[in-house]
Amino acid sequence: MTTKTVRLWFLPAAFLAVPSSNEWIQGVRMSALSFLDRSRSVAHPGFSRWLVPPAALAVHLSIGQVYAFSVFKNPLLATHGADGSQWNLKEIGYIFSIAIAVLGLSAALFGKWLETAGPRKAMFVAACCFGLGFEVAAAGASTHQLWLIYLGYGVIGGIGLGLGYISPVSTLIKWFPDRPGLATGLAIMGFGGGAMIGSPLGTKLMAFSKAGGHAAIPSAWVTMGILYFLFMLLGAFMVRVPADGWKPAGWTPPAQHSAMISSHNVEVNTAMRTPQFYFLWLVLALNVTAGIGILEQASPMIQDLFHGQVTAVAAAGFVGVLSIFNMGGRFVWAACSDFIGRKPTYMIFFALGTVLYFLLPYTGTLHMDSVVLFVLIAGVLISMYGGGFATIPAYLRDMYGPYNVSAIHGRLLTAWSAAGIIGPLIVNGILDHYNAMHMPREQAYPLILHIMAGLLVIGFVANLLVRPVAERFWMKERPTAAIPLAAGQAPLKRRA
Amino acid sequence: MASERKTSAGLVAAAWIVVFLPLTWGIYNTALSAAKLFTHLPTKPPAQVHTP
Repeated sequence: MTTKTVRLWFLPAAFLAVPSSNEWIQGVRMSALSFLDRSRSVAHPGFSRWLVPPAALAVHLSIGQVYAFSVFKNPLLATHGADGSQWNLKEIGYIFSIAIAVLGLSAALFGKWLETAGPRKAMFVAACCFGLGFEVAAAGASTHQLWLIYLGYGVIGGIGLGLGYISPVSTLIKWFPDRPGLATGLAIMGFGGGAMIGSPLGTKLMAFSKAGGHAAIPSAWVTMGILYFLFMLLGAFMVRVPADGWKPAGWTPPAQHSAMISSHNVEVNTAMRTPQFYFLWLVLALNVTAGIGILEQASPMIQDLFHGQVTAVAAAGFVGVLSIFNMGGRFVWAACSDFIGRKPTYMIFFALGTVLYFLLPYTGTLHMDSVVLFVLIAGVLISMYGGGFATIPAYLRDMYGPYNVSAIHGRLLTAWSAAGIIGPLIVNGILDHYNAMHMPREQAYPLILHIMAGLLVIGFVANLLVRPVAERFWMKERPTAAIPLAAGQAPLKRRA
Repeated sequence: MASERKTSAGLVAAAWIVVFLPLTWGIYNTALSAAKLFTHLPTKPPAQVHTP
């Protein structure tokens, strides 16, 4: 062996194994990862803020896939283990439940970290978790080990869901101080739209895998994991945070502002000590619970209320109509809230929602017998369900300022997890009772929907009780950059 | 002081197209499914007119 060959052989060994080179490797790795740091994602002067909503949409359109998980239910039911064992519907149902529960938990736990790490790093971690979750779940489906699917799609993917959901929120609010509702509405609309992409994508990929002679679910999940990872990565690379003191060209913060819009920031742990946080938690939880009352049973409900008139195929179409209203409502209501205010927007949700939930069962065959009216009312109700999700970040920004809004939003999302348990419990509990008593299911819906109307009344009261945050909770050293007080203007007197 | 580099309108348009393409595909598929609600509803028989 020549000296030159020895030297060449030695080089990679030195790179990989010699202790002194570890610092160099670490340095390379650190500098590669530092691209993800908040400081490296500060926008240069002249950067267009209109690049940020597509970045947020790339993430939300991906993670919204979770709402389309039901397309995998029947294929999962049909799979067999090596010993011929099969999973039941309840066991498969836990996959989605774990994912949503972990979404709420991770949003609450990592929200504060996200505020310091910045949106790019958070989106990158979300992309890794969501993509990896699919790969681990694919291994579980391939080897017929349900715990691996729980771990992959439920836990690892769920962390990706939670981080991905909250990561663009505060960034968008900082880029759009003039239209925070519109900006966050655009992103959260993506979560609704994600189901519309995830459902046909999953179905087509499974059909393609099957046609190619591969196991349908594992192949589809491996592909989806890679596709979603890359798409979310695109969002992570596009996102930028505005430089300190940036404001939109030509926009001047209003000198006079509503008492319902805070002129100071509130830190996340302090926000948890304010009564407003718990009223808003109730507002979100009750709005979501009521919406789930319809979403959970959309297909059987329309078939039961219009017995013999609406087929299973038409009922599937009804679910599609609701998805469109859900997505549209997220954008429309959140954008409207910029003009009419957050509190009045929720007042509309709760007041109009109460009336419509009360009326909905009377559109059935036994009373008005109008499918069109039923679909219209249900559509408006679901638009307000989506609108509730999309308007809450801007409501939080109004209450607590933009400084910690992602972290506060993350903690408030536990309301979603709670509603995801309470809503189906009410609906399925009542339906099970009617089934056990051998009573017609269509007679159960007035009770279910009127309970939802009652919950909205409580939500109305909770929203009514939301007042400006008391001055003692403000971060004195951090007035909101977006809405400073006009020169000489005394701060508004606030009471908790 | 950092020099001002304007983001090109083409880049902004491309970013929106990249996210709206899959979304449009999803909405199209959902609309196809939603249309079944209206195409699979049986038409009600016309109400009988009672003439004196």
